[in-house]
Amino acid sequence: MSFSRRNFLIATGVAAGASTVLSACSSGDAGGSSSKTPSVEKGKAAEIAVGTATDSKGPAPEMPGARKGGTIYTLDQIDFDHLDPAQIYSSYTGAGSVLFLRGLTGYRVDSKGNTTLVGDLATDAGTVKDGGKTWSFTLKDGIKWEDGKAVTIDDVRHTFERLFADFVTEGPRYPQNWLEGADKYKGPYDGKHLSSIETDGNTVTFRLKEAHADFPFMLAMRGYSIVPKAKDTKKKYDQRPFSCGPYKIESRSIDKSLTLVRNENWDASLDPCRNGYPDKIVMQFGFQGLASTDRYIADSGNDQYALSLLNEVASERITKVLGDATLKQRVLTQVDTTCYYFPINMTRIKDVKVRQAINWAWPAQQLKQQRGGSQVTATATTIISPLTPGHEDFDLYGKKTKPTGDPEKAKALLKEAGKEGQKLVIAFQQSDKAVKEAVTIKNALTKAGFDVVTKQVDKTTFYSEIGQLDNGFDLFAAGWGPDWPAGYAVIQPCWDGSQIADGGVNWSQLNDTSVNKAIAAATTITDADKANAAWGAIDKQIMTLAACVPDYNPIRNYFYGSKVGGVVYNAGDTCVAIGKVFAKA
Amino acid sequence: MTPPTPSAAAPLEVTEESSEKSITSPSPKANESRSPGQLAWRRFKRDRTGVISAYIVIFFFTIAVAAPLIAKLYGKNPYDQYGQDAPIGTLLNDAGYPIKPNGGIDANFWFGIEPAMGRDVFTFLLYGIRTSLMIATITTVLVTVLGVIVGVSAGYLGGKTDYLVSRVIDIVLSFPSTLFFIAFTPVVYGLFWAADEEIPAWGRGVCLVVLLTAFGWASIARLLRGQVLALREREFVEAAKVTGASPGRIIFKELLPNLWTPILIQSTLALPAFVTAEAGLAFLGVGIQDPTPDWGVMIQRGAQYYTDDITFMIFPGVSMIIFVLAFNLLGDSVRDALDPKSKR
Repeated sequence: MSFSRRNFLIATGVAAGASTVLSACSSGDAGGSSSKTPSVEKGKAAEIAVGTATDSKGPAPEMPGARKGGTIYTLDQIDFDHLDPAQIYSSYTGAGSVLFLRGLTGYRVDSKGNTTLVGDLATDAGTVKDGGKTWSFTLKDGIKWEDGKAVTIDDVRHTFERLFADFVTEGPRYPQNWLEGADKYKGPYDGKHLSSIETDGNTVTFRLKEAHADFPFMLAMRGYSIVPKAKDTKKKYDQRPFSCGPYKIESRSIDKSLTLVRNENWDASLDPCRNGYPDKIVMQFGFQGLASTDRYIADSGNDQYALSLLNEVASERITKVLGDATLKQRVLTQVDTTCYYFPINMTRIKDVKVRQAINWAWPAQQLKQQRGGSQVTATATTIISPLTPGHEDFDLYGKKTKPTGDPEKAKALLKEAGKEGQKLVIAFQQSDKAVKEAVTIKNALTKAGFDVVTKQVDKTTFYSEIGQLDNGFDLFAAGWGPDWPAGYAVIQPCWDGSQIADGGVNWSQLNDTSVNKAIAAATTITDADKANAAWGAIDKQIMTLAACVPDYNPIRNYFYGSKVGGVVYNAGDTCVAIGKVFAKA
Repeated sequence: MTPPTPSAAAPLEVTEESSEKSITSPSPKANESRSPGQLAWRRFKRDRTGVISAYIVIFFFTIAVAAPLIAKLYGKNPYDQYGQDAPIGTLLNDAGYPIKPNGGIDANFWFGIEPAMGRDVFTFLLYGIRTSLMIATITTVLVTVLGVIVGVSAGYLGGKTDYLVSRVIDIVLSFPSTLFFIAFTPVVYGLFWAADEEIPAWGRGVCLVVLLTAFGWASIARLLRGQVLALREREFVEAAKVTGASPGRIIFKELLPNLWTPILIQSTLALPAFVTAEAGLAFLGVGIQDPTPDWGVMIQRGAQYYTDDITFMIFPGVSMIIFVLAFNLLGDSVRDALDPKSKR
């Protein structure tokens, strides 16, 4: 057989290829670089100071090396569910809409990621009277909407009054619960005003039923961004909101893209929160985590100018990305205050022993391994995350002592309750990750003596379906990140009996009188340490009732392209501060 | 088509030839020609590629059928998550990847461990082959039978029947089947199982087979209809008609033997296509779901992990390639054996 040069090249090419493959095969994987990953336990609780009037003046702190111009792209799985501020509760939607929605207060982030609460449209973070029952804010002069008209104090009042309209079903309900006389108010569309919101010149004053020291933090939520009275299209506002931020909406293709262009009427010197460097921002949707991760790894074309607000580095690529020094430079790693848990539907699983049995049998370590290990998750044993003030460390169900679960104890509890073979209907999102989690959880709970039925629910409607009071599920995956760093923001929205409603977030439908009383009492405590202790005790109380199974606290790894600069974390909004990025040359 | 008769010289050398033949092969007397089937068998046995492919295909079907037995002897099952149940750092590392090289191959786990889920790859592959082959084979058989019946009848009977059937085929072929599956499968499940009942694996399998068959028969039917239209004008069909043969006899004795070639080619191509189709559907949430092992889903998951654990993709991937290749080559050889003229 003649051995021509061509054959030789082919043969060596194949041999080289084969040896690469073989080396990939034969190298074992003894473990990732776990020594340098941030640890939830060792992190500090978020400290966000309240800024002064000087801090509230614009412009926003400059990012080193920034330049104006260019286009920034985003790659994320899903579109924003709502654009009407009154309906915005998802932190992902809040993260993206900061570009065109502004509220009375907001978070000022400097180049090192230090976050301060300041006045965004207001001159400062509010003046307090009556020990926290009355709050006043003065509007800055010269702020304009995208059509050039001025933002007025009437717009501010209208924003809060329209929260009471009947089409506002999603969104946080703090003003509705806190403002005086709110129970009888039905919204501004019949001409009536809410008496507890007073306007005087350029100042607005809110009168609350009880003292709330966190009121300015609450106002910084995206859900309280100001809506222009003249352009309020009510239900239609959800598709096309009006902007007073650095960008306005140019076009939108639902579930595909959202394009933002410069708002010429935005004045950078009056905005302490956003820099507005790029000329254009194109948000792209429909990219699963693995697909976007691979695109960032390839880093070609427009992906060099891209970042993600929701997608993180996929668990299948975590070892590769965080192990490679050049790739790791383009990852923003941040411990998150969110706690993912599985609420147990207490209207269906009424016996506390059964709920405790589920907690005992939970396969915490297996799920952690599946998700990518210590680089991306930390097992949670409490509802308040270790980074949030109010956290008390306890482990009632042996998650740390028996991380693979304790099926014997669970079986014993079921026997005590006389509920062996208890049927559990668990709802999962339709995604490959969730399908695998369903298998692991089903295996573990079946070993403990449960009869598990798994139901796949479409991803886009998942949260709406589990929000229904009669959803027909016993257990489903949910999560909660506090709206601002305090125990109140973790506990009250999800575990107070008054929050049970269709579309509400008290998913377990917990309505325990002693828990409700404890929450009411803790809300009025002004001393920070005493308040933290109170919230920690409530956390323990809820976990003793086993109203949910705490799953994990995420460690977020946000990937971005090589030509994106100025990427920092906004600890107040708990997201990547997209308002501060710029496109490198 | 009638196979050539054995050479005319044979009957003249009766005594020696026949005694030789009776020693070498248990065949009828030398002056009797072999039946078409026996001739085809002899031709097939001489084709080495075909024989090897046949052994490979039989091997796959055998292990698919014997999977539970093999798993029992091996001592593991495809459902237990061995890697996860062992303490961290023994089988799977913190990030869920197998610690031992080559995807965790060792004496206990012959093909390694699945990343993240920790299941045994050897038994998972066996059961996956079993699931996928079972669904694909049943579907292929049903599709072929249905397609042959409808296509041949439509082609032969002609007229209004042909017209109606062709329109039905057009509609079925132009339907967006994947979207239909995604939309329709939950409806079907809801009809037979209550909201709080687990849908059993066999239920998913049956539903999948039914839906795949409902959309799969049309292309074979159309192909065969075309072939029959060409054949029915030939003299031997006319001769059969003239001698009073019933349409059924004509279809089965005259037309079908000439149609083996296209039928075989279509069905040998269809079976692997159905394996990949049901894997794709499993990924979309329709059809086979975890924890039921599935060959195609295994390959898809392997594609997710190949950068760090390529071994997990190699086993199902290579076995799939070998199987598809062997199956196609087998189909080729069988066709050549039955219809040698088409080779030249």
